[in-house]
Amino acid sequence: MTRAGGFFLAVGALTLPLWLQSPYHVHVAIMAGIFGVLAMSLNLLLGYTGQLSLGHAAFFGIGAYTSALLTLKLDWSFWPALAAAMALAGAAGLFIGRLALKLRGAYFVLVTISFAGVVSLVSVNWIELTNGPLGLPGVPAPELGPWSLRTKTAYYYLVLAAVALSYVVCRRLVRSRIGRALVALRENEPLAESVGVDATHYLVLATVVSAAMAGLGGSLYAHYTRFVSPEVFLFTYTVTMVIMVVAGGKGTLAGPLVGAVLFTALPEALRAAASWQWQMLAYGLLLILLVFFLPRGIVPRLAAAFPGRR
Amino acid sequence: MAELLQHLLNGLVLGGTYALLGIGLTLIFGLMNVVNFAHGEFYTLGAYVSFAALALAGIDFFAALLVAIVAGAALGWLCEVTLLRPLRNESIDTTMLVMIGVWIAMQNAELLGWGGVAKSIPHPFPTAPLVFGPVAIAPVRLFALVLAAGLIAASWLTIQKTKLGRAMRATFQDRDTAALMGVGIGRIHAATFAFGSGLAAAAGALLGPIFLVYPSMGDLASLKAFSVVILGGLGNLPGATLGGLLLGIAEELGAGYISSGYRDAVGFVIIILVLLFRPSGLLARQERIA
Amino acid sequence: MGNRSIVLLALVLVALAALAVPGESQSPIKIGVIEPLSGPVAASGNYVRMGAEIARDWLNAKGGIGGRKVDLLIEDNKSDPKEAASAAEKLIVRDKVPAIMGAWGSSMTLAAMPKLEEYGVPMVVETSSAASITKRGNPWIFRISPPSEMEALGLEQYVDKLGVKRVDFLAVNTDWGRGSITAFGDMLKKKGAAVGVAEYMEQSATDMNAQLTKIKATGGDTLFLTTAVEQITLVMKQAQEQRLTRKVVTTGGSSSPTQLIKQAGAAAEGSYHIVFFMPWFPDAMPDGKLAKAFVDEWAKRGHPFEGLTEGFRGHDGIATIAEAIRVAGKDDPKAVREALWNVSLMGVNGPIKFEKDGPAGKESGQSKPSIFVVQIRDGKVALPDFLAKK
Repeated sequence: MTRAGGFFLAVGALTLPLWLQSPYHVHVAIMAGIFGVLAMSLNLLLGYTGQLSLGHAAFFGIGAYTSALLTLKLDWSFWPALAAAMALAGAAGLFIGRLALKLRGAYFVLVTISFAGVVSLVSVNWIELTNGPLGLPGVPAPELGPWSLRTKTAYYYLVLAAVALSYVVCRRLVRSRIGRALVALRENEPLAESVGVDATHYLVLATVVSAAMAGLGGSLYAHYTRFVSPEVFLFTYTVTMVIMVVAGGKGTLAGPLVGAVLFTALPEALRAAASWQWQMLAYGLLLILLVFFLPRGIVPRLAAAFPGRR
Repeated sequence: MAELLQHLLNGLVLGGTYALLGIGLTLIFGLMNVVNFAHGEFYTLGAYVSFAALALAGIDFFAALLVAIVAGAALGWLCEVTLLRPLRNESIDTTMLVMIGVWIAMQNAELLGWGGVAKSIPHPFPTAPLVFGPVAIAPVRLFALVLAAGLIAASWLTIQKTKLGRAMRATFQDRDTAALMGVGIGRIHAATFAFGSGLAAAAGALLGPIFLVYPSMGDLASLKAFSVVILGGLGNLPGATLGGLLLGIAEELGAGYISSGYRDAVGFVIIILVLLFRPSGLLARQERIA
Repeated sequence: MGNRSIVLLALVLVALAALAVPGESQSPIKIGVIEPLSGPVAASGNYVRMGAEIARDWLNAKGGIGGRKVDLLIEDNKSDPKEAASAAEKLIVRDKVPAIMGAWGSSMTLAAMPKLEEYGVPMVVETSSAASITKRGNPWIFRISPPSEMEALGLEQYVDKLGVKRVDFLAVNTDWGRGSITAFGDMLKKKGAAVGVAEYMEQSATDMNAQLTKIKATGGDTLFLTTAVEQITLVMKQAQEQRLTRKVVTTGGSSSPTQLIKQAGAAAEGSYHIVFFMPWFPDAMPDGKLAKAFVDEWAKRGHPFEGLTEGFRGHDGIATIAEAIRVAGKDDPKAVREALWNVSLMGVNGPIKFEKDGPAGKESGQSKPSIFVVQIRDGKVALPDFLAKK
């Protein structure tokens, strides 16, 4: 079952552009992939360390702006800009991780919210750097050697590669000693510390990886939409990521991906199905229903229904 | 000097309203451990109910305020009983997610029902400002400040002195023992959520006439409320009050003397600094109870 | 992993199946509309929508375009650039619209622009004021609203009559507010006025007392205010509380003086407002009959009077697109774009005709809308005192 399932999934994902009806659907798939990377990054913190980062849009936005600015103003090529975006976002994660060292729970949440708030205000007010509310239009498309990854199909594969990479990184991390230490911390911190698990070290590490991954998502977003503005720091982006992780199933590997696909497709499906007055109201009600019936998220519930390995 | 005093007065009025929002949420977030993203929506509800009562039903201003509080408390009670109680054994993230759903649903229902155009709530106070030496304040704001102070004091008293307050404190300190002692846990949870939501609705009804009423007015309110709660220490009413006042004054001074663009940043930076030096909040003690 | 991956696959299929509903096949002519229908500026977005619907109904009452009915496909951009781009993609690819009107806010419009170029579909911009929109070399953009620079030029002739010597600015911290400060600041400096402070307020801010206290301290004689009517109301009330006495001029056309009078009362007395439609004096508009008809139809539908100062944009945008489709003879996007360069029609605001703007070879279209100044006097909207014939 395992091998077969994984194989079909891989084939399906690789051939998706071929059997999707239209470029609009590929667009949705690309957005789902980008949010998949973001959701997986948030899941590292929320699902595995138990710390809720409600400022995650900050790392996303920092990645987007870094990548956009380097390619627009300094004529960097996409790939080093991407690396820089991840590095800068990761550095922000390091800063937050060390800052929130002494804090847990609600206090960590507030620090992350405040950080996102400050970064957002800087992006709006530091006009010389970010162009303020007018944003940065015309972000160039990535290039791979002689080919420009401008077309939707090409970009889809880029995003797919990023999703796969992020998934593998998460999986490796979670199944390693580091991952086990994080879970131990989440379940019972004093006990974990008593057997020598260094809480601060692991939490900071998790935050850095999580932030860098969100920076990856940000860069991908910037070069796909080709327009970056302070709205990337909007709280609704963070809320969307939270919805995807928790509804998909936090603390699982597949959960955030399922959540990302579902909650990217859902608003678009509602756009098709309902007139504009009802779309968001329906979205809210559906969310309530989902939480009500699947309080632990989709993936854990389904895993319980189909007991497989483990 | 006159400028400084005016800034301080403005900050005090602003802070009073932050405090009112904060103590409602500190009961819900601090005591019940529910990350209530819909708190701002009860604030908005209070404003719309007050508008409906005043502009459409034509009842008087103070009665409208009461109706708003009752509406907020009633809807809060309903939320707790139908949504939160069944999920009580789930993780904090699950209850947070359901309240996100409530937030989205409530705000868009308001948009659907009332439309996006801002409404103005008529109030009986004269518009000419009251002048105290170098500073001025509008009567309606002074009224809001006084009433907010009154509601805050009433909340403190309720929690400290009444049977309900004692039962609440007992429940959140040690649920099992409280249950053994005959406290109706379910009723206390519902009552606490209703209490907090009613306070948020009161804030909305008080501020509605000063500002304007529109569906997304609660978003900023929620965010400020969370900041105030954590600043003051979870579940700590005096802390939330103090935190609210401090945040209001800090924002006002920051906007006045540093830069109006970075006004909110001042608030955030202060929060970060406070948490660095006093991680449990301004007035925190060991336990997390009011 | 295996079970979950099958489930994942199934979920992906289900989710995407929901999108598989094909777009309607055509007898009516479809025009896309992207506006902020929810979120902080929902009121404005809805007014534009209402104006667009009036245009549609008038067109259909006259038999549509070439005998075909006009259908508006209305999308909400939720004040989020990402949503504006997604909405554009959906309208173009799924619904195959030949033209779009949108997207209200400048960043929403800028975010949708790459999609227009990708698929080759024109968009008529009805509200956005950022100069960059028509200067980016996107040949699919046609704007009927004035950029801030044009607005400032429109006021230039009145600066001396207004008696503006020392100016302060208070604007919403968005592209519109900042652009307005730059444009008006440059124009006023050229006319010899001194510019004092420029203060900002966040879009959702309700307390501007700090900024007003600072402005009061400069001793200037005029305050230029750029934001939406709700914030203008609050600023005026708070300015009154702080006993700020100086001339106020609002820019951007979104000040809805009627609503201001209702909600700010005496605090709004004496203020000047730059508007692009004067529903109080429809006969003074370039096409008085059309303007009056629009005001009457709006009232007949029970829409609030204060929305007229923004609602007309929706009408003019749809009318422009419809005229282009008529001239082109078919609802093909490229033909419509060609036709847009050749249209000359009368909107509620005035004559609409596009001129080239932006880099050579890739010009966008920019029309030159009429600009008006009104004043609130004795609790009513009137022509400004310096223009009144006494």
